[in-house]
Amino acid sequence: MKNPNRKRKIISYLIITFSALIMLTPFVAAALNSLKSYTQYTAIPVEWIPNPFKWENYIEVWRMTDFAQYGWNSLVVTLLSVLGALFSCSMVAYAFARLEFPFKNSLFVMVLGTLMIPPVVMIIPQFIIFRNMGFLDTLVPLWILEWLAQPFGVFLMRQAFLSIPKSYEEAAKLDGCSPFQTYWRIFLPMCKPQLATLTIFTFMTKWNEIMAPVIYLSSEEKFTLPIGVLSMSGAWFGKEQYLVAAALMTLIPILIVFLFTEKFFVRGASSSGLK
Amino acid sequence: MADMSDNLKPKDHFPEQQGEKKQKKSKLTLAKQKKPKSPKKKWLTDEGKWGLFMISPYLIQFIVFIAFTLIASLYFSFSRYDMLNAPQWIGLDNYDKLINDPVFWKSLWNTLYFTILFVPTQTILALILAAALNQSLKGLKLYRMAHFIPVISSWTVVLYVADAIFNPRFGLANDLLLKLGMEPQQWLNDEALVIPVLVTVAVWKGIGYMMIIFLAGLQNVPEDLYEAADIEGAGVLQKFRHVTVPLISGTTFLVLVLSTITTFQAFEQIYVMTGNSGDITAAGGPNNASMVLMLYLFQQGFAFLKMGYASAIAWVLFLILFAITLVQVKLQNKWVHYEK
Repeated sequence: MKNPNRKRKIISYLIITFSALIMLTPFVAAALNSLKSYTQYTAIPVEWIPNPFKWENYIEVWRMTDFAQYGWNSLVVTLLSVLGALFSCSMVAYAFARLEFPFKNSLFVMVLGTLMIPPVVMIIPQFIIFRNMGFLDTLVPLWILEWLAQPFGVFLMRQAFLSIPKSYEEAAKLDGCSPFQTYWRIFLPMCKPQLATLTIFTFMTKWNEIMAPVIYLSSEEKFTLPIGVLSMSGAWFGKEQYLVAAALMTLIPILIVFLFTEKFFVRGASSSGLK
Repeated sequence: MADMSDNLKPKDHFPEQQGEKKQKKSKLTLAKQKKPKSPKKKWLTDEGKWGLFMISPYLIQFIVFIAFTLIASLYFSFSRYDMLNAPQWIGLDNYDKLINDPVFWKSLWNTLYFTILFVPTQTILALILAAALNQSLKGLKLYRMAHFIPVISSWTVVLYVADAIFNPRFGLANDLLLKLGMEPQQWLNDEALVIPVLVTVAVWKGIGYMMIIFLAGLQNVPEDLYEAADIEGAGVLQKFRHVTVPLISGTTFLVLVLSTITTFQAFEQIYVMTGNSGDITAAGGPNNASMVLMLYLFQQGFAFLKMGYASAIAWVLFLILFAITLVQVKLQNKWVHYEK
């Protein structure tokens, strides 16, 4: 009995260690690249260890570019998106989970249907709507849709609200709470894990987003980090190691968030099975 | 109609009488309407009002950003529209042009090629990793985290991380090939290699996410099935093939459908990795070898302002995707095993 189990474990360790190495080696190589001088960065054969370690590469990025401005824009977009997603998804989900209203079921089927429509057919008209509203080259199109309840969050929160016993609602009603108050004061605080999951997923999507900024932003001082760093590359010929440093720095905030909230990341990925 | 002309005539002469009449009438119609419904329930209760109010963000999104955009995009696809002048109806011209556009066919082929390479590779590897992780190993959390770091990276980060490996001049891959005495490659600059390299990087980036989905599915597979297989003397591979794979086929199906849909619309990776400092017209090379439908749509629409033509590409992409999903759903009862 014990033998096959042990064999299984050894094989598993081998597979997973090998794959973890494949996952991490490129990051280590890039991190080392970011600390090299240009001659060493382009040296053939490859010199792994920077000599000397040029930590000033990281300072140069801040000194020579609008990196701080890109970072601020990314932060604004990400935070407004997270707030919007938390508020709108939970409110809509509460209504679908706990309230009775006309056409409730057909409306919910509609939410399901929305998930099936590939975004590709909506990109161009959405661009034209935002253009007509005068929002081109502003950050607004990057976060405003998150205030209108995206389906992923609605599903996540609806599941959470459905699992709360009915007695809470009745008690709130006796205390004279309106449905909104019941949602806001009683139900919302009970769903912290799901709110955390939603926060992290929205944070990750928005912090890393490239398509929407490419569509909507044209002046450099509006750029978010991913496209800001991308736009630097033309002007930085011969200093590419700075670009590696800049790119890796954009990973740090999300990496920190991730390290502290890994549990909710995993929960989000596994409970939904979709993004 | 008769009612109205009746009301109109005496209006000036007997205004009071008219008012009385109207009241009576409206009472009567109200009573009539009420009859078939249950008398105690109002159509819109207070709760109903709150409900509609609370879903209003979604309603706005649906009406403005989904229903309206769908209709508009369909209309654009039959129009010439450069965003400076109003859209002009040209019937099927855009679709006609599309059929005769070699770059469209090339990007359709590239999209299919990318999807066919990517989806099965990632699915199989993610399943193997999940099965390996599902063993109550020590350090499970660290292993899981290692696989998640590419998932949380933006494509801009991945561009420079992948460059450390696939840079044609000083990347580690060529360094390795040289050490093994083989020819160095041009990787992303090579027409034949660009899509396989992109797929490799995409698998590397996305596998951690898919692995977690599979891991959740595997945790529902009862342990006693493995024990029974042990007693029968099944090896590791046999157990994987005959216990794990069939019991997780429901999750696999979901993962296949979803990743096909996202891969078909892939844009960010190719835009970032084949482009040059964010110039959208520079992406898709070399020689359109990595031009995919979504990127072609972007170039036509946002770079050349052919919004009508781009909308036609969007609808063709949508229809192909719809057909593929339909086939996948139809095929599922051939291989998906659902527990009763």
